Amino acid sequence: MTGGKTEMAVLVPERGTTVLMIGNPNVGKSALFNRITGANAIVSNYPGTTVDFTSGTFIGGGRTYTIIDVPGTYSLDPRDAAEEVAVRMLRDYPDAVVMIVLDATKTDRGLYVALEVMERGMPCIVAVNMMDAAHEKKISLDIAALQRILGVPVVATTATSGEGVRDLADMLRKAKVADIGAIAQRMRGEEPEREPAFTCGGCGGCGGR
Amino acid sequence: MEHVDMKQENDRKITPLGFYFALLGLATLLFGMADILVWAGIRPGIEVGILEIAGDDFFRWAWGGFVMVCAGIFMLAGSARVETLQQSAKVVLGGVLVWVIAGTDIFARLCVAIPAGEASPAFLNSCSGFLTEFAPPYTPAMLLIPFTLGIVYLIRMHANDDS
Amino acid sequence: MVFSSDARWEMVDEITRQTVTYGTYKQTLGAVLGDLTVKPLTGIPVAVAALYAFWSVFTSFAGELVTDGFMVKFFDGLWLPWFQAIWPDPGSWHYFLFIGNPAADTCFEAFGMLTSGLFVSVGVVLPAVFVFYLMMTLLEDSGYLPRLAVLMDTVLHRIGLHGYAIVPIILGLGCNVPAVTATRILETKKQRFIMMTLLAIFIPCGAQLGIMMSIIPDLIGVVILCLIIGFGIFGFVLNKIIPGENPEILVDVPPYNWPVKEYVIKKLWNRTKGFLKEAVPFVLLGILLVNLLYLGGVIQGLANLFEPVFVTWFGVPKETVGPLIAAFLRKDLAIAQLSIIPMTAYQMVASVVLVTIYFPCVATFVVMLREGWKELIAAIAVLFVVVFIYGGLIHAVGILLGVA
Repeated sequence: MTGGKTEMAVLVPERGTTVLMIGNPNVGKSALFNRITGANAIVSNYPGTTVDFTSGTFIGGGRTYTIIDVPGTYSLDPRDAAEEVAVRMLRDYPDAVVMIVLDATKTDRGLYVALEVMERGMPCIVAVNMMDAAHEKKISLDIAALQRILGVPVVATTATSGEGVRDLADMLRKAKVADIGAIAQRMRGEEPEREPAFTCGGCGGCGGR
Repeated sequence: MEHVDMKQENDRKITPLGFYFALLGLATLLFGMADILVWAGIRPGIEVGILEIAGDDFFRWAWGGFVMVCAGIFMLAGSARVETLQQSAKVVLGGVLVWVIAGTDIFARLCVAIPAGEASPAFLNSCSGFLTEFAPPYTPAMLLIPFTLGIVYLIRMHANDDS
Repeated sequence: MVFSSDARWEMVDEITRQTVTYGTYKQTLGAVLGDLTVKPLTGIPVAVAALYAFWSVFTSFAGELVTDGFMVKFFDGLWLPWFQAIWPDPGSWHYFLFIGNPAADTCFEAFGMLTSGLFVSVGVVLPAVFVFYLMMTLLEDSGYLPRLAVLMDTVLHRIGLHGYAIVPIILGLGCNVPAVTATRILETKKQRFIMMTLLAIFIPCGAQLGIMMSIIPDLIGVVILCLIIGFGIFGFVLNKIIPGENPEILVDVPPYNWPVKEYVIKKLWNRTKGFLKEAVPFVLLGILLVNLLYLGGVIQGLANLFEPVFVTWFGVPKETVGPLIAAFLRKDLAIAQLSIIPMTAYQMVASVVLVTIYFPCVATFVVMLREGWKELIAAIAVLFVVVFIYGGLIHAVGILLGVA
């Protein structure tokens, strides 16, 4: 089900089939990318390994996705040439699905850039990566609550062991545009109308609907 | 905070374990200094029993000797109240540095032992030839290995109180 | 809907408050050890030890085991005599091109495409880059590299860079090509320019280090010292004369990890494959080209033309012109070529340093071009000035020490 290759050619965007992986540096985007596409992006344990984008393909649910591993960025106001690539990619693929990758041990920093992406009105899906490291540091994350707040699918993953990667890949077609206004409202304690009845355990299967 | 602890534990400051690591640290420090001094030409090379300090090359003896000196200092610095986490870490770090030097010494011997050598027409060394490369004398770092195994005890001690 | 940065941070705080709970975090021995490797007092000795281990394993494996243990014996004892015996007509041009000197005893002396070319690329440089890439991969994947960046921050600020510049430097010691691309992690144009120029001039690649180790094991320390001093001096000067900023950076230190075996193998394979695909043909072509130029009398002509500069200014023999031409294709090849010119120890050091600093190899040249042609031209202008000044400086020091 996976077949990947790394190439630097410019790809023709096709609605709903391009996936951009956005997140802070060193949160394991490249490792996730390799897991999903079976490609050979270089993975290292230091921020700034990916300075150019790498693309690969993933076939799932009868659709062919082009997955693009984008250099890590702390915000969408680029600070260096590698971060500029990230911003440029978002601009060049306005119809893409954005896979926001968070580091479970440093969710706050990742959420900042996540909100910036959501403000752009692009369909999103969130991967909370490095769950193993969070577990080790005794940090626990309420994935279901995060999904309810953000209103987009949230999946917990550990790229080094491959845990949750399958779920993440299956979840790609459920990606949806986050209603940033509703998020802000929920944060102020005012529940927006059409509050979804949330009864499941938050497997992520329904995107919180 | 630190001061209060020190006064309270002053009488228990040097435990047998701490004493052991202090001795090990001192030995490492002296060996490291000997490495450097022999290289600097104070003596043309020391061979005592199974211990040898050849001192023939800057990289191994001056640079490596400096690492040994640091390892000794780390162990000495960590030997007082060695049971605390902070102090244990210093001792463990010192031990790891000794392992680095000893490990590269052993690796270097291994690399020399596998090929047959220039004079022989064969490519691979004979079994006995291979083993003779590992015969004594040894470098100070290699001799220290069995004694540094004490840091494994420290590592296990802290691994246990974590869970 | 777009928020201000403050509003966004407020939302982030609120979301984290509702979703993340921190358990009682107990400090582990591993974490304390990690801290010790960043604090200067303990971190610098650890860095010195790490460098020691790196170099020791590099020389033991590539030098003692593979090259001296097996490759020299194979190429000098079997490969070369076999070719010398079966190739017809030792006086002919094709013998000169492919086999080289008919009287040669070693593959370094022969200097034919099929003898020295294969020996240099496969016998000497391949094991060197292989073990170099392995060590580098471990350094990267364990998470030690960013800690080294923290340690080096103060020093690198002096030359207009910051701690993170250690990443392109370390990558450059493997190969300058990925290092040039890695300069993108530096913020300002000034920093990128300084880094790229210094990389192209003063950082020898793994292939060069491997061949130096094989040819001049006693002098390599002096050569590296010359390069480090040059790196410092010219970094400092460039920082003073180039306008622009050198912002502070907060280095993000990831946790230590045991390197994942599959990633290490994959990365090692990709890098070694890249070397085989790109370097080996270049070495072979380089020898062919240099030999053709010899046959055509071009090198002798250039040597006579540049003789005054080489002999009086740099203090090296005029024959060094040949290797300098080869250096444009592959620097490892050029250094191998230097080894057959009879020289004093000083001349050897000076000429090896010259080969290293004088021009980036063609592959580095191409990636630098991709990063911006204006910067490339400026870098080359700097390079010529540096080669001239530094080459003269080394000569002057040599004269003062009475060795030149």
